[in-house]
Amino acid sequence: MRRIAGIVLAVVLIGGVVAAVVAGRQGEDTGTATKTVRAVIGSEKAEFFADPDVVKALAAKGYTVEAETSGSWAMEGLDLKGYDLAFPSSQAPAVELAERYEVRGTLPRPFYSPLVVVAHRAAAEVLAGNGLASLDAEHRGTLRMGAYLDAARDDRTWQQLKGADRHGELSGTLFISSTDPKTSNSGALYLAAASYVANGGRVVASEADLDRTAPLLRKLVTVQGAQQTGSDAVFRDFVSGAGNPLVLVYESQVASLLAGGQQPGDLVVLYPDTTVNSDHTVVALTGNGKALAELLGSDPALRQLAVRHGFRPQGAAVGFASATTYLKQELTGVRQAPVPTSEVLHEMARRARG
Amino acid sequence: MRRRGLAVALAAVTVLTAACTAREEPAAPRTPGVPGPAEPGTLRVLASSELSDMTPVLERIGKDTGITVRPVYMGTLDAVDLLAKGRADGAYDAVWLSSNDYLRLRPDAARKVVSETPVMTSPVAVGVRTATVRALGWKPADVTWSQVEKAVRDGRLTYGMTDPARSNSGFAALVSVASALSGAQSALSDDDVTKATPRLEEFFRGQKLTSGSSGWLASAYRRRGNVDALLNYESVLKGIPGLTVIRPRDGVVTADYPLSTLASSSAATREDVRRLTEALRSPEAQRDITRRTHRRPVVASVPPAPGLDTGRRRELPFPGSRSVADGLLDAYENKLRRPSRTVYVLDTSGSMEGDRLDGLKSALTGLTGDFRDREEVTLMPFGSRVKSVRTHVVDPARPRQGLDAIRADTARLTAEGETAIYTSLEKAYDHLGTDRDTFTSIVLMTDGENTTGAEAGQFEDFYERLPRERAEIPVFPILFGDSDRAELEHIAELTGGRLFDARQGSLDGAFEEIRGYQ
Repeated sequence: MRRIAGIVLAVVLIGGVVAAVVAGRQGEDTGTATKTVRAVIGSEKAEFFADPDVVKALAAKGYTVEAETSGSWAMEGLDLKGYDLAFPSSQAPAVELAERYEVRGTLPRPFYSPLVVVAHRAAAEVLAGNGLASLDAEHRGTLRMGAYLDAARDDRTWQQLKGADRHGELSGTLFISSTDPKTSNSGALYLAAASYVANGGRVVASEADLDRTAPLLRKLVTVQGAQQTGSDAVFRDFVSGAGNPLVLVYESQVASLLAGGQQPGDLVVLYPDTTVNSDHTVVALTGNGKALAELLGSDPALRQLAVRHGFRPQGAAVGFASATTYLKQELTGVRQAPVPTSEVLHEMARRARG
Repeated sequence: MRRRGLAVALAAVTVLTAACTAREEPAAPRTPGVPGPAEPGTLRVLASSELSDMTPVLERIGKDTGITVRPVYMGTLDAVDLLAKGRADGAYDAVWLSSNDYLRLRPDAARKVVSETPVMTSPVAVGVRTATVRALGWKPADVTWSQVEKAVRDGRLTYGMTDPARSNSGFAALVSVASALSGAQSALSDDDVTKATPRLEEFFRGQKLTSGSSGWLASAYRRRGNVDALLNYESVLKGIPGLTVIRPRDGVVTADYPLSTLASSSAATREDVRRLTEALRSPEAQRDITRRTHRRPVVASVPPAPGLDTGRRRELPFPGSRSVADGLLDAYENKLRRPSRTVYVLDTSGSMEGDRLDGLKSALTGLTGDFRDREEVTLMPFGSRVKSVRTHVVDPARPRQGLDAIRADTARLTAEGETAIYTSLEKAYDHLGTDRDTFTSIVLMTDGENTTGAEAGQFEDFYERLPRERAEIPVFPILFGDSDRAELEHIAELTGGRLFDARQGSLDGAFEEIRGYQ
């Protein structure tokens, strides 16, 4: 039964078709003969692989990467024959791919990015004034997931919060906007984090856990109405001043915006006290794929370039230059919830979205 | 959505008529309504008609990127239907609607989209005549939907909006109004819609203008002079002089114009779409967009154009299920809005004999699938004079009865006699009193020139002498067969209507497109 739901989902998933994004920059100063590596990647990494400096750094090590984008969950539905690696934006789809293609051993995770909530200053301050968040820098704070989920359970509105009446835009039910969990990774990971908290600090694994958490998750989703299908779109809307006051995005999106020298105005980044990392995980299908994964994780130049695109390389504190008032240098005090298995996550999304 | 099936299918191939009284209308593509064959460097884009104002921006980008955009404009619902049925596969290279909110509610259409990237935003707003704002004592920054509702209820505010079933701006306005007036704190549910129905009915009594497009709405508003406000996107309203643009404080629905790639297109095509998107999101293009079109940029480094108030507004959630969205549309068409009342003045002169008459019969019969509850339809076939006047009302309790009667009358049409256009039009005006609270209009279908009865000049005199309420009734002429474009254009202009062209498309398409104006 669930198996079938999974298959149907995979078909429905947006991005079921691979889109060519970068075919290596031709005419760059490659010099040496290079190995061409074919990769299927999550769309959030398209800019990274298209960055001329990344192309150059890879070429210096003898690689040309031909990257095509696909929704992370849609990779399950693709035939990966002829590819050297798949690089989805989280672990669950990677594990599933590894099983299918009989890839053994630990899957390399060269970089990651936690889910955060972006808010405008007024909304963040109202949350802080009502015990739902705390602020520790001008543009940074912590969202108390337990308190937030309680509020969601009770259909709390902004009008019921102290101080919200001073801001006309803060009315209606208090909720975080996410992407559609059935089609998009960040939306699914939102459910993973929320379900972990709602399940008493345990990852949802059984039918009973699913039953227990389903009503709340359904509420978190239905309250939003129509959902976007990509985290890029929700963040763009937020930047343009439209949309819900609280929006779930990847930290990398904020970091990338700041690194590009953009002025995000009164944006506040709230780190949920329990969140989920988007672990960009490599499923190496060939020797070349494996070598590229290692390179991404170890080459200092590539690691630094990953930071430029807002990703956190594994095993090192990041210096997000000039972003310290928005971003945490280290994720201390942020609990990482484990992500349920792919199958459970699909079922969770199905029940929540209906 | 009851009784829309055939209509939608027809609308999908509807011809977009460029030649009309509304000059803001998009220019027709080479063959109207047809995207044409694929060409390298050219993107065939299925687009919302509001995007016609992007032409200069796209031209500039075309010079830099070598990518030419060839748009085919279509209403959101029709575009989504086209996608869902797979008819956009291979015919279009990208989709660019005001919003993908409705598209997402149709999994069969959503599946066709690979990726979507918002390019700019514009919220639904209320544009109110500045004198009316003063008379109402409103402070534009503080006005709420409830205040707008109260002004409508007190008879102090009338307004126009586009048809939600055909235009995205109308649909977004409908969702805004329903969400705000229902008191719903989160995404609308079926219950919310039911509960809000009495208030919504009252609110929509204030709607005095309807239109299938934002362009014609603006010109009809200017011409009428006695409508106080328009509901539309902020970007459209900012382009109309004399309006104070109000974004209600208690919430708006915002269009974010996502440029979307299609699964059916090749990787190379999607790469072109991605390049176009990137170019549109460059700071220079974003500055150009906000300055020219009054839309808001999606890039933090570019501020909105001067005059676009940056105060925040609550975003009203768009319904999350198709049943709610379609239920709301159905309620609007069949219950909430003022009913329409139309006289079809139909040329059945001798020259209509054969294929032409058959075409007319089949088009009219098809149209009966789209008539709304409470709608009054009068068939007035003419030759040397008006042959008969038959009026039917679609009774919500027994809709079949009225529709069957229209079909039966249609089947009995015969071709005979000369062509008395003006005499028949005068008769239509005489028939239409202003006793009922309806959207009233006349459709004129003719395949030839006026050959008998009153002359053009006589009709002009007749029209000038009409009392104001009756002179507000527009004539929508349809160019067909050997009819004279100049003659029909003049009638449209004189009466504040709009010309539709069935010569390049089909009679079905023209009839269907006019529905948005009735």
